[in-house]
Amino acid sequence: MTKQISGIVALLATFCAATAINAQSMFRGDAMHSGAYVGPAPREFHRVKWKFPTGDRVISSPVFKDNVIYFGGDDGNVYAVDAATGRQIWKRATNGPVPATPAIADGTVYVGSYDGKFYAFNAQTGALKWKFATDGERRFEAKGLHGMQPKDQTIADPFDIFLSSPVVANGVVYFGSGDGNLYALDSATGDLHWKFKTGDVVHASPALADGVLFFGSWDSYFYVVDAATGKEKWRFHGGEDSLMHNQVGFQSSPAVVNGTVYTGCRDSNLYALDAATGKEKWKLFNDLSWVITSPAVADGKVFFATSDSSLYHVVDANSGKPIVRQQGKAFMFSSPAVAGDVVFIGVLNGTLEARDAKTGDLLWDFRVEKSKRNNGWVLTGDRKFNVPFLYHSNWREAPLVATDQEIRIGGIYSSPLIVNGVVYFGSADGFLYALE
Amino acid sequence: MTAAGALVRLIAILIVAAALPARAEDAIIGRWEGGARMPDDELNVIVDLAQQNDVWVGSIIIPGLGVKGTPLTDIKVQAPDVNFAVKGPLGIQLNLRLLGANNTLAGNFEQAGNRALVTLKKTGPPQVEYPPRNTPVAKEFEGEWKGDYEMLGYTRHVSIKFANHPDGATAEFVIVGRKHNVLPVDLVTQEGEMVTVDSREMGFTFEGRRKNGKLTGAVRQGAIETPLVLVRAK
Repeated sequence: MTKQISGIVALLATFCAATAINAQSMFRGDAMHSGAYVGPAPREFHRVKWKFPTGDRVISSPVFKDNVIYFGGDDGNVYAVDAATGRQIWKRATNGPVPATPAIADGTVYVGSYDGKFYAFNAQTGALKWKFATDGERRFEAKGLHGMQPKDQTIADPFDIFLSSPVVANGVVYFGSGDGNLYALDSATGDLHWKFKTGDVVHASPALADGVLFFGSWDSYFYVVDAATGKEKWRFHGGEDSLMHNQVGFQSSPAVVNGTVYTGCRDSNLYALDAATGKEKWKLFNDLSWVITSPAVADGKVFFATSDSSLYHVVDANSGKPIVRQQGKAFMFSSPAVAGDVVFIGVLNGTLEARDAKTGDLLWDFRVEKSKRNNGWVLTGDRKFNVPFLYHSNWREAPLVATDQEIRIGGIYSSPLIVNGVVYFGSADGFLYALE
Repeated sequence: MTAAGALVRLIAILIVAAALPARAEDAIIGRWEGGARMPDDELNVIVDLAQQNDVWVGSIIIPGLGVKGTPLTDIKVQAPDVNFAVKGPLGIQLNLRLLGANNTLAGNFEQAGNRALVTLKKTGPPQVEYPPRNTPVAKEFEGEWKGDYEMLGYTRHVSIKFANHPDGATAEFVIVGRKHNVLPVDLVTQEGEMVTVDSREMGFTFEGRRKNGKLTGAVRQGAIETPLVLVRAK
């Protein structure tokens, strides 16, 4: 009997492990975007297992399926790389940068590109199955954005860096677009089921839970729609900023856990909303510092970080009460990934950090070579952004050039993926890294 | 040595002495141009150094960094060493040494914990820029003024208190929003009915015109300008 029970337990454990490994095939691990991964995580850094070169920055986050890592490159390619060796299995070109994270389901890779098309590739061969034309991709833009001059001229937001990452469920693939729509396509054919129009760019990734989609738009609203019909269930109004359009819009992708939606917002709040009603449960204000990171939720805690103020936070998922608050070195756009007792997060100064999940203490960090070289003094001596040096002018393209310089230092926008004790992430230095 | 030989030697010494500056420090006076070698880039640097009533003064130009005629501070000259700083958000320090035939200053350019080698060559006489000075303000401006403006969804309370001194007016510039901010004021000027209070360190400027007992104008932070009307504090 004992042996029988042991056998059942072992079988269950195998099943759970298999489920966990499968839950690494889309942005933030699964359709609910918890950002929590099952399996071992390195509490110490040993070595670079491999690094894979691409032709441009890697903003996309890697996903894993059947020992293959998939990700997009700003060089316009979608890549499939052997997880063990880092050797390329295939690459497939689109006609624009791919700063979106692919989703893998039923032997297909789904991802959008800045060429305004949404693609479905055969996961084994990279062969194109179908592609769908949206109404066109674009970045968020506004007059006098962030206080840039000329203040009456429309300026595209250099910090609108990600594209919406798709979720796939029950034969439908869902994703947002710069044309303001959330799309639902037949995952086998690419045929349009429905589209839901918002007032501005949708670059957040929708989360899916209990047949309902959750996503934010740059029009300052957070939307909840029925996944089957595309009918709106409720919407939540975030902050507005008519002055310089700095404190507005949902760039962060939500996580839905235990009936609560957690999302960051450019209005500098982290919101916890009731998933059924949209009622605000709590919010955490971050002193005008954006919350771009998509929150991770694990063990009753929410993990997130801020941009300018560079703060790493852990708060109680029920109350929003602070548990950990650590001062980081530089802006954080990368969404934290929780694996066991370690939290991994990328920093825009070109560093990947591993922090203790309980205390928030830094366990180890890894800095890419470009960050170490510090060309053009993008960073200060202690790895912070050299803001007065970079942003000395708000005229014309100067702030855009400064942002580009920041990116070139090898910033890690990509959300880390943890599989079998290996940490995978992309860097704006053009490499995909595998650390162990 | 013959008398003629001694005379020739004396003349030679006098010629050399005449060619040398009266003091070693004098060699440092001038315009110096060159570059700081950062990784993958070079920063053009132009420094003007002079003496005014035996006090060292200077200014710096760094094209591309928005630095033009910014005053040098903490100037220390102990020939052949020259050290000075550029205060403000950039926070630059230069530690230099006079080299060669007194026409090269070389050393370190430091900013935010980064350090680069810098070499400057003397190109001519100094063209030091002097910062604008506070002007006196008319009696009608003296005292405290108060007003409110809105930014990013909440109200900020402003107080500016003008006072005259022998070397120009001063102003206390306070903005209370979520925090109580006492802004360091660099410059107070009055031109006609217009008064300007500038806090370069914080990037804030108030500019207002006195009309009907009010100061009507705007508070500016970078490119963002918000209307602000100040009235006499009660």
